[in-house]
Amino acid sequence: MFSDPFLVFALGCAALSVGLLIGYLIVRPKLSRATKLLLLFGIGVLPIGTAANGNVAGYHATKTRTFCSSCHVMTPFGDDASSPGSTSLAARHGRNEAFGDENCYTCHADYGMFGTIATKLGGMRHVYEYALHFHQLTVDEALPRIHIRHPFPNATCMRCHSTEVPGWQRVGDHRSLLDQLRAGTVSCASEGCHGPAHPFARVAHIRAEQAAEASASREATSP
Amino acid sequence: MTRLLQISCGLTLVGLALMVWSMLVPTPMPVILAMSVGQLLGTLAFGMFGYVVLVDQLRKQRAKGAARAARELAKAASDEASPRAPS
Repeated sequence: MFSDPFLVFALGCAALSVGLLIGYLIVRPKLSRATKLLLLFGIGVLPIGTAANGNVAGYHATKTRTFCSSCHVMTPFGDDASSPGSTSLAARHGRNEAFGDENCYTCHADYGMFGTIATKLGGMRHVYEYALHFHQLTVDEALPRIHIRHPFPNATCMRCHSTEVPGWQRVGDHRSLLDQLRAGTVSCASEGCHGPAHPFARVAHIRAEQAAEASASREATSP
Repeated sequence: MTRLLQISCGLTLVGLALMVWSMLVPTPMPVILAMSVGQLLGTLAFGMFGYVVLVDQLRKQRAKGAARAARELAKAASDEASPRAPS
């Protein structure tokens, strides 16, 4: 935890500031120039240092898998992605050193100049959805309802898998679907290709299908 | 003014507590609270401190100006009381 220099600096600034402020509140000195200078550091400079470095440390923390799976309905996704025995697409990428502990963010972050901002705004939507719709649900109730908002973009896969190397193009399906894959009209994470990335997505799909079939058969049998 | 400074110190301490909480327990709620409420409290506290310093500075300048005016008045009065000797 304390390997992040921003975090250490932020906590150091906070500790110094707290020391100065508590000292001021206990001693209550006259408002001299020295007191003003002390309070400038205690109320201004050091808390600004804490906030600035804390923001960077917080930003780093929000990219980790433990952060993503800290909402209870996301724990199965985090557990699967960190499971050494899982063969899901997410877990295989999680075992890759280039993704590591930040594999959720690496795959789900938007690409491009404003990608980070768009991703953070999307994260706020997750908080909204969790607070209003998913907070009260059990994991079993929530899993069938959790789905990706937009289809997973192939551009995200193509950041690493360029579709240019001969080894990739030797695969028949890749070669035959090259234009569709590059255009994003056929998803790499499709069922039967490399998807679904998380096993629960398949479970949700199957459960939804079963529920639809059951309700259809009930309607058919009812007089 | 002292009361305002104490409130400012208290607000800063609460803001710092939220920020430290978000760093030690980096889960969505603490992080959101630190980046919104924590920073709002910190900014408010710094604004209050700035206001106190500004008011104190103005008061001191006003007092200094009043003292200077009083000195000048006293000097003028003493000049009037002891007129210059005829050459």
